[in-house]
Amino acid sequence: MLTLYRPGTGWLHRMPAGPKTVMLLALTLGVFLLPPVWWSAGVAAAASVVAYAAAQLHDGALGMRDLGRQLFALRWILLVMLVSQLLFLGPEPAVANATRVTSGLLLAALLTLTTPTTALLEAVERGLGPLRYVRIDPQRIALLLTITLGTVPVLARIATDVRAAQKARGARANLRTFVVPFLVISLKHADELGEALASRGVR
Amino acid sequence: MTIHLESVNVRLGDVDVLREVSMELDVRTVAVIGENGSGKSTFARLLGGLVKRTSGSVSVLGVDPDRQAAELRRRVAVVFSNPDAQIIMPTVAEDVAFSLRSEKLARAERDDRVEAALARFGLSELATRSSHDLSGGQKQLLALCGAFVRRPELVIADEPTAYLDARNARRVADHLFEETGHRLVLVTHDLALAARCDAAVLFAAGRFTSVGDPASVIAEYEALLRC
Repeated sequence: MLTLYRPGTGWLHRMPAGPKTVMLLALTLGVFLLPPVWWSAGVAAAASVVAYAAAQLHDGALGMRDLGRQLFALRWILLVMLVSQLLFLGPEPAVANATRVTSGLLLAALLTLTTPTTALLEAVERGLGPLRYVRIDPQRIALLLTITLGTVPVLARIATDVRAAQKARGARANLRTFVVPFLVISLKHADELGEALASRGVR
Repeated sequence: MTIHLESVNVRLGDVDVLREVSMELDVRTVAVIGENGSGKSTFARLLGGLVKRTSGSVSVLGVDPDRQAAELRRRVAVVFSNPDAQIIMPTVAEDVAFSLRSEKLARAERDDRVEAALARFGLSELATRSSHDLSGGQKQLLALCGAFVRRPELVIADEPTAYLDARNARRVADHLFEETGHRLVLVTHDLALAARCDAAVLFAAGRFTSVGDPASVIAEYEALLRC
């Protein structure tokens, strides 16, 4: 998610990270709070289209190429959400809910598309500044968020390596034989990451 | 004196990893060699303040790693063999900039230093690339760049070329040996690299067995391997 940032010169790119976060958060919240009825689906979808079109993403298709990419990345979440709610809630709430959630995620993705992580972290740190009064270090929280998100591709690679090693030794897919090496390697990675953080001045 | 150890013991769990290690080193580059499990990496981590001694005294650049950790972090950088574990931030330039977070620099100065470091390590064109998508060699160069951007007085590199092909290993080594005012402690199994250092230290079974001219220490190590 964090690696989605693409450099640009549009007004959304130039907007300071703090106000941009608040603006997109308010927009996302507005979409989430819509009632689960047909017209909400239309409003939520329109909000995403208008936001991407207005964001000056310069993708050669008035933001629609980027919107399509994000939508494609969300296809499985969308499908699971739609099918499960169709079964239990019926068509109207299912379509409205799925559209609202998808729209919310698309709007959130606009933030990561147009904001470098460093700027985002600095905004998070500034936003959480008052927590210093209750002895919580905002810098540490921002770092925690970065590491959590940055570790996702690493864990995915470890999982792929473990599966490949199992296949190379002729083993069939088995949860137990996968989990043990995966955990051991992941914990080793956590140790090494801790040392790397310490050596780069993080206490 | 760059490094001074006096009767240092390190015990990790039930294992005595370093036993009664005493030495004085004051050279620009020193290689640390020895078999797997001989205590080389623990020695490097001890100097980098990443492992605490059980007993004895340690001084690195006049700093006690256990008692003056912040001062040590400011002056010493550590580079590890696995580049994946050293990448913190999602893009190349941001990862290099991360090393300067604790220095509280003005944004313009920070950007200038990052730009200069990226150029020095040939990473300028990759500045906005996802750091996790780089090749192994590029990742290790990024790790070095993240270490050198802080302008450390001492760089401790623990098998930095272990995962690299010959071309990338040479590039990484050339950067490590480049004379930029830093000192180098290089843990390595590559004896050709060890021979490039001003001095070498040999470890065997948790004990420091000899120190001196790289050629003679390497010869001693090779004799040990033939036993």
